[in-house]
Amino acid sequence: MGEVTNIAIAGVGGQGIILASDVLAQAAICAGYDVKKNEVHGMAQRGGAVVSEVRFGRRVRSPLIPDGEVDVLLALEMLEGLRHLHRLRPEGVVIADELRIRPAVRPPGAPGYPEDVVDRLRSLGHRLVLIPAAELARGAGNARAANTVLMGAMSRHLQLPEDAWQRSLRMCLRPSLLEVNMRAFGLGRQTQDI
Amino acid sequence: MTIPAPSATCVLLSGDEAIARGAFEAGVLVATSYPGTPATEILEALVQYPEIEAEWSPNEKVALEVALGASLAGARALVSMKHVGLNVASDPLVTASYVGVRGGLVVVSADDPGMFSSQNEQDNRHYARLAKIPMLEPCDSQEAKEFTRSAFEISERFDTPVLLRITTRMAHSKSIVELGERMERTPTGFVRDVAKTVMVPGHARRRHELVEARMNALAEWAESCSLNRIEEGDRGIGVICSGIAYEYVKEVQPKASILKLGLTHPLPSGLIREFAEGVDRLHVIEELDPYLEEQIRALGVRLSHEPVSPRLGELSPTSVARLLEAGKSAPRAPLPDLPPRPPVLCAGCGHRALLTVLKQLKVFVSGDIGCYTLGVQPPLEAMDTCVCMGASLGVAFGVEKATGRSDNIVAVIGDSTFIHSGIAPLMDIVYNRGATTVIILDNETVAMTGHQDHPGTGRTAAGESTHRLPLDELVRAIGVRHVAVVDPYDMKQSKELIQAGLRRSEPTVIIARRRCVLLDREERRRARRIDVERCVGCGQCLTHGCPAIFDKTPEGEKKKQVEIIAQLCVGCNVCGQLCSAGAIVEEPDSG
Repeated sequence: MGEVTNIAIAGVGGQGIILASDVLAQAAICAGYDVKKNEVHGMAQRGGAVVSEVRFGRRVRSPLIPDGEVDVLLALEMLEGLRHLHRLRPEGVVIADELRIRPAVRPPGAPGYPEDVVDRLRSLGHRLVLIPAAELARGAGNARAANTVLMGAMSRHLQLPEDAWQRSLRMCLRPSLLEVNMRAFGLGRQTQDI
Repeated sequence: MTIPAPSATCVLLSGDEAIARGAFEAGVLVATSYPGTPATEILEALVQYPEIEAEWSPNEKVALEVALGASLAGARALVSMKHVGLNVASDPLVTASYVGVRGGLVVVSADDPGMFSSQNEQDNRHYARLAKIPMLEPCDSQEAKEFTRSAFEISERFDTPVLLRITTRMAHSKSIVELGERMERTPTGFVRDVAKTVMVPGHARRRHELVEARMNALAEWAESCSLNRIEEGDRGIGVICSGIAYEYVKEVQPKASILKLGLTHPLPSGLIREFAEGVDRLHVIEELDPYLEEQIRALGVRLSHEPVSPRLGELSPTSVARLLEAGKSAPRAPLPDLPPRPPVLCAGCGHRALLTVLKQLKVFVSGDIGCYTLGVQPPLEAMDTCVCMGASLGVAFGVEKATGRSDNIVAVIGDSTFIHSGIAPLMDIVYNRGATTVIILDNETVAMTGHQDHPGTGRTAAGESTHRLPLDELVRAIGVRHVAVVDPYDMKQSKELIQAGLRRSEPTVIIARRRCVLLDREERRRARRIDVERCVGCGQCLTHGCPAIFDKTPEGEKKKQVEIIAQLCVGCNVCGQLCSAGAIVEEPDSG
């Protein structure tokens, strides 16, 4: 990884992408880094494709990651991971939920959901880590904590101390949801790369 | 600027939140806005400060006028809006420039290059020149906060409103901000001075002279103010830039010499010439229009490139690297053949039900700005025009006048959009004896921007209870005799009311009222399911684009196979009303 670490988090509006990027950004702040992040608000969130980018390092300039410099691509949905695959560094890693969400509408002439989505996530030669996030989240007590499971899995690939993640989760989550999410994060962090 | 060291007073803020913080620290007393992406979060953050009177105004013109009044009474005031909102507020803006201020007055314009959530990507830097007011453009959240404070000082020092111009990337990117203390100010109260505040021609002529003198004074000040700075680097390449473009240049050409402009109107001509003389190659990097480039060329300064301002869309570090030939290898192309995933109306959205009826009636739909604009997409395709806030009524009336027919056209407009700028065109229709059928899609909130309140919700920005504007009484008072309120889930009744309106030779207003489904998640009805025994595979339930209905028909199969995703279905039964086979039934009670 370069002087600045770049993470792109992609998924479908409503999956908790902005919360996930907030947790990551706060963890980087807790670890003493300069941080910038960007996200999409407004109409695009209505079930559309959403991406949020987080950058941390000694000094971060652009809030947008230059193409070809993404270190970690976290895909909360596999097709949305595919949409940003070309932006990864050659040595970058893809961490993806096994989830497939078909687009709600298929405009005339548009291709269907790529059935070979897993193969295509590997097609540019990147390391791919697939996580059964919903199943693990259910194990933690709430299927909706899938995004936190994925954060846990991603944390294995980032140079941030575990304590920074714990502090960030406590700062970003409502107290009533904290326990489930702490468990979900832990289960994600314990996953092994395949 | 330097990065503040992490501490309790350092927090991660968006550009919008940082502007709100800057206003708070500057002692702002009054803040106004109308919701619009990407500016909405400024007022949402301001309303959290109990020291500030923060309001959602009915539209941006009113917002600016209220802020101006507060300023004339000696209070510092901030008004924020999206770029197109400044078109609505441009009338008071240009004359407020003549009137000037008492307490500082800052106007925030949040532009949307790339049109993430807008109908155009106009470059509002031109407004600073048009209105003859100073303009500031910050590059990150820390600067957004500092520039907001500076803007109030400039406003009071030079007796002028100040334009603080940001873009979507500035508004919605987050970076670390060091918090400061609030400076308390007591407003002086209104002091009578008609030569300054009553813009009759005799007064305005004199004020215009003062405006020109003020701009000259600002241009002189621009040469030495700390908002503009030269960062000396490699003399081989010099870049003039402002706002977020500065960060992109620093990202891809960290060694370049840079003239960073924080004050982009008026421009410091001496500083620009000095910088140009000190570098071999000179570039201007800016988003959208060649606003800086044209003024710099007009100074006689030679640029090392043909016009490079892309004019279209937003910049990125990748595109700036290309413009500066920064020697990065060409980025990879996106993977081919990926299905698009556009935003859609939510499962159970009342708008979908009403738009489905309009599709069935095959009428011309004059549309407006709101979630319902998504109805233009297949498979609904129930919208024929969409221009700007409130345009649906006037456009429908114009079509009616040109064609002599009112039996095949309706105007559809949201509740907040109607209050924003749909009332005047409705008066036009009544006054000029039109027969337009107008449908107000009343979801009791400003949904698209994230559920803000408006005069029709009965709640203020701070969540306090207030008078609730009754839309039906309002339209009757305007002179509409045929007014009906319908639940859009009842498609049969909606259809009958619309058909009656289309037949009538006088105006009709139908208020289709159904609270935004995102506000009432807990009140879900029983989910539906497909009874496969009865399903004939006609595909009618797929014609309204509900995200809870999943088309699982195998490739090449004519007979449709569908499934309703129970977790997404809210039980509106719009699909049930479309199904002629009676195959859509209630899920058995799971509880």
